[in-house]
Amino acid sequence: MATRRQFVITLGGAIAAVAARAARGQQGAETPGATMEGDGYIPVRRLPRPAGGKRLTPLERDAVERMLSCPCPCTLDVFTCRTSMPCGFSPRLHADVVQLADGGYSANEILAAFEQAYGEKILMAPHKQGFNWVGWIAPFAAVGGGAFAAGALIRQWGRRAAERRTAASPVPVDASDDEMARLEAAIRSDDA
Amino acid sequence: MILLGELSLWVALLMAIWSATVSFAGGRMSRADLAASGERAMYASFAFVALASIGLWTALITSDFSLRFVASYTSANLPTVYKFSAFWGGQAGSMLFWCLILSLYSALTLFANRKRNRELMPYVTGTLATILVFFLGTTAFSANPYARLDWIPPDGTGLNPQLQNPGMAFHPPNLYLGYVATSIPFAFAIAALVTRRLDAEWLAAVRRWSLVSWLFLTIGITMGMWWAYVELGWGGYWAWDPVENASLLPWLTGTAFLHSIMIQEKRGMLRKWNVTLVVATFLLSILGTFITRSGVIESVHSFAQSPVGTYFATFLIVAIIVTAFLVATRLKDLEARAELESMVSREAAFLYNNVVLVGIAFSVLWGTLFPIISEAVRGSKITVGPPFFNTVNIPLGLLLLALTGIGPLIAWRRASIANLKRQFAVPVTGGLFLGAALFALGMRDGYALVSYTLAGFVFTTIAQEFVKGVNARRRMHGEPVPVAFIRLIARNRRRYGGYIVHFGVVVLFAAFAGLAFKKEYDLSLTPGASFSAVDPYNRTWTFTSQGVSRYEELNRQVTAVVLEAKRAGMAPTLIKSEKRQHVDSRGQPTFEPSTEVGILESLRQDVYLVLHGVSGDDRETAEIRITFNPLVWWVWYGGIIMALGGLIVMWPQATRSGARRRAEGGYVVVMQSSERRPADVPEPPVEAGV
Repeated sequence: MATRRQFVITLGGAIAAVAARAARGQQGAETPGATMEGDGYIPVRRLPRPAGGKRLTPLERDAVERMLSCPCPCTLDVFTCRTSMPCGFSPRLHADVVQLADGGYSANEILAAFEQAYGEKILMAPHKQGFNWVGWIAPFAAVGGGAFAAGALIRQWGRRAAERRTAASPVPVDASDDEMARLEAAIRSDDA
Repeated sequence: MILLGELSLWVALLMAIWSATVSFAGGRMSRADLAASGERAMYASFAFVALASIGLWTALITSDFSLRFVASYTSANLPTVYKFSAFWGGQAGSMLFWCLILSLYSALTLFANRKRNRELMPYVTGTLATILVFFLGTTAFSANPYARLDWIPPDGTGLNPQLQNPGMAFHPPNLYLGYVATSIPFAFAIAALVTRRLDAEWLAAVRRWSLVSWLFLTIGITMGMWWAYVELGWGGYWAWDPVENASLLPWLTGTAFLHSIMIQEKRGMLRKWNVTLVVATFLLSILGTFITRSGVIESVHSFAQSPVGTYFATFLIVAIIVTAFLVATRLKDLEARAELESMVSREAAFLYNNVVLVGIAFSVLWGTLFPIISEAVRGSKITVGPPFFNTVNIPLGLLLLALTGIGPLIAWRRASIANLKRQFAVPVTGGLFLGAALFALGMRDGYALVSYTLAGFVFTTIAQEFVKGVNARRRMHGEPVPVAFIRLIARNRRRYGGYIVHFGVVVLFAAFAGLAFKKEYDLSLTPGASFSAVDPYNRTWTFTSQGVSRYEELNRQVTAVVLEAKRAGMAPTLIKSEKRQHVDSRGQPTFEPSTEVGILESLRQDVYLVLHGVSGDDRETAEIRITFNPLVWWVWYGGIIMALGGLIVMWPQATRSGARRRAEGGYVVVMQSSERRPADVPEPPVEAGV
């Protein structure tokens, strides 16, 4: 269980990281897309495997490209980038994917080859391992925790309301049981 | 005019500083004269910001390239409509545009409250003026649209081709109108916290502005989706880009607030939560602006990197600290006046709806910021893209869709078993029937099946509510069905307007699920060659190339391919896709080539044509992609229906006596006793809906 001090330190660290990132970002060029051409491309090539293995279909190859992030600032995957906004990277990454797919490599092997060259950033979603689990689980944990807390709160409120009802003296109502029943039914129907 | 505009910007800043200072002082010292001076200064500030804006528009329209902003975002041959909309096409202009909207909203708020909420207004004015000081100061010192160039270029750079789309005229203004409108509820929340007047008074003012914000954000987001769909390069109508996510965040918390405010109005509960949501919605809109403008996160939509990010980060941190302090020191004043009694009640359903909405907002924010957090912790960069957001948000979205149907079916306070059976029987049957029918017809995509089953359930819920209401009116007033239907909505706009919004949500989810069935084909076509393709409805289409053509238009050189599309039962239709090279007035290329897609639209699906390029020795072979996108138009219709519902909810209700209003709204009996509702809880003006 983290102490309050640890929480504050962690929060402060995160804010400092964001601020540092913002400061670094502002040292960059004024023109968006300035790094689109050239310098970040790393060729991903492998010798073809002996013939006979199952080759990826064009649709499977497209699916692999959708799992790869284009290194240009578009934030799109390679497939979407090369089919919508031509940049200096995505056509070359596409060529590498085609070469590997034609060479008999599977989808996972192609993704691994790109990750080896570019690092995990090349994948459109982080692996489900290590610290990344925090990223994957936190949203569900937040909703689950919120739902649990809301449920606990409602149960607590319900108990208190029931205690108050028991303690309170009944309010005299000038109506017959039948009239009260019809009134209650009408309210239920109205509320629905 | 341009000099006048530039001077006006500085005068507006001084006026806003004066307004903030004397308004807070007036409130603190209970000096009506100071408060009045602050309000007058705010009106003056609006007038000067308007003058500054007119000055910039004048410079844009007249192509005054002595201004850096005009030279950077327009060219002499740019169509006038885009010269006009270039105002918000760049960092500096869009900051001034933000100031214009904020000062306009502030002036409207002061005018509307000139005889109301007088104890709150000095602090409302002071808070709004402080926000305006921040924006005007950032504009004047860091992103000044009136900054001059050392020399006057013969022509400007021109507007990015992706921004030369009708969407540019409508999407950003609507989004800004939505973002900025969150300032007004925030200002009222601050005023209520400072004065400790946390009763129903501030909520009434806040609710209307929250609806304004929600409505404009809904319209803005929908228009943005349409624009990103018809304009290539943004990855389709929703690509989970950080800037897209930023617009979704305040919409989600704003939607949560519009539901939870009903519980406070009806039962006097969730007071802390509602203040938190109002504050969070404003802060998230500022955070979204920070993300868009700081360069801290890479985005295809973001502005060029500039120092404004530091200003925004500072403002955000200060706003968080101030509001956290105010909320923390007012917790006793925010105690609930009633308590929720049952897990099976409409209040509980709304609470769970809030948990899911805020949970989705958290997951979107978390996914957007996780690359930075990961880099800070592990030191290595990662990408968090659509695979993450879809994995996390699709289940949460479906849960939200289910709650959209469940909430209105459960009675307030405590639902009985008989009530649940009666209310749920038809909607559950409707949903299951639709799901089973689609499964029998061959649908096997799990998420799509669940989506359509839930959509059927929610749709039947809404239909059931309308049928019951219309029948009640027919019994009571003997009205024909159309009249009863219209009056049902008109006499209880919040409830039935809310149901219309829910219907829009159903349509949206149905459209999103349709994306699971899209089909794509890559092909090369020489003139006269044909290609056959099967669409998601198993119909065969034939596409025949009519050839590649090249021509010049106002500010671009165009290479176009035209295909003739044919299928059985449909007359042949032509679709055209273009590659455009934009040029300045001297014929020099200005940007990278862009692509205009060709779309053959219908309610069932779009045929979406993209020209990748031309190849072959004669450059006559078109390299193209054809995509069948099912149900895409329903995304826009869903957004339109939601906006229409929001408009109905917002539309002022004619004043009537409470009893008469309820009777005409289809209500028969009203019960109010000290046991059922504590005396200090205000009379609920609302039954359901947004």
